[in-house]
Amino acid sequence: MSEVQRRKYSQEEKNAIFDGEFMPHIDSMYNFGYRLTFDEDDAKDLVQDTYLKAYRFINSFEQGTNAKAWLFRILKNSFINEYRKKSKQPTKVDYQEVETYYNSDDVHYQSTSDLRAESVKDMLGDEISNALNSLAVDFRTVIILCDLEGFTYEEMAKILDIPIGTVRSRLHRARNLLKEKLQGYAHNMGYNTDEEEE
Amino acid sequence: MNDYPSGERKKQCSDESKCFELLESILDGDLKDSGKEILKEKLAKCQPCFEHYHLEQAIRDVLKTKCTKHAVPTELADCIRQKIQDIK
Ligand SMILES: [Zn+2]
Repeated sequence: MSEVQRRKYSQEEKNAIFDGEFMPHIDSMYNFGYRLTFDEDDAKDLVQDTYLKAYRFINSFEQGTNAKAWLFRILKNSFINEYRKKSKQPTKVDYQEVETYYNSDDVHYQSTSDLRAESVKDMLGDEISNALNSLAVDFRTVIILCDLEGFTYEEMAKILDIPIGTVRSRLHRARNLLKEKLQGYAHNMGYNTDEEEE
Repeated sequence: MNDYPSGERKKQCSDESKCFELLESILDGDLKDSGKEILKEKLAKCQPCFEHYHLEQAIRDVLKTKCTKHAVPTELADCIRQKIQDIK
């Protein structure tokens, strides 16, 4: 992930890296872009932009390191620096607002809901997707990276340029928010969340 | 799933905050070998830990398996390759 310029790759090496290590991730990249923007064209633009940048800066990619994490970091930076700027649609929760509001990495872990594992297992894909999509983008992002894409805390810290402690606490908060949403669905669907009646 | 009857587990967790943080780290794969032993012990002895673990695991599972996937538009890869050709 370092920006240090390494030895330059030959044209054949560039092609091999691009086809062998970058392109196989296009599916994950597109889905990441789509889940950030909720728009097919914006997702396409972000992915295309990311691949063009990846090619342009290919000499700063160290072969054998995690290409997927490297690409995700480029896409996330493009999203923040370019997409959010030109986008007229205001994001539901402002990035800065989230950051200052949840500044502390010090989280108290506790049981926050009466949601049951069994009700969660019975939920439909649409309910899960909608709950995830309703989260502010920073919370949504950590869940996408961790649960949908399987990145480690360390990889997420590099992709998002934040300390590991912040990754852990943001992820914990994100999942708690998600649980609140799911609990709402569980109540509506009449799933058994607790023995008490309202 | 209920390897132990819940009657054998304590009803109150002595340090919920620490325990839950640990359980979540284990589920996220952040603690490798040392995690397994601690986990076994917690799940066997503590009901709140047991329930929290299974809820968190269920949430991770449904996110991984049930979230809508969007198919990449077929022309996107070709379009990218074409643009790369142009700047080569
Ligand atoms: Zn416990």
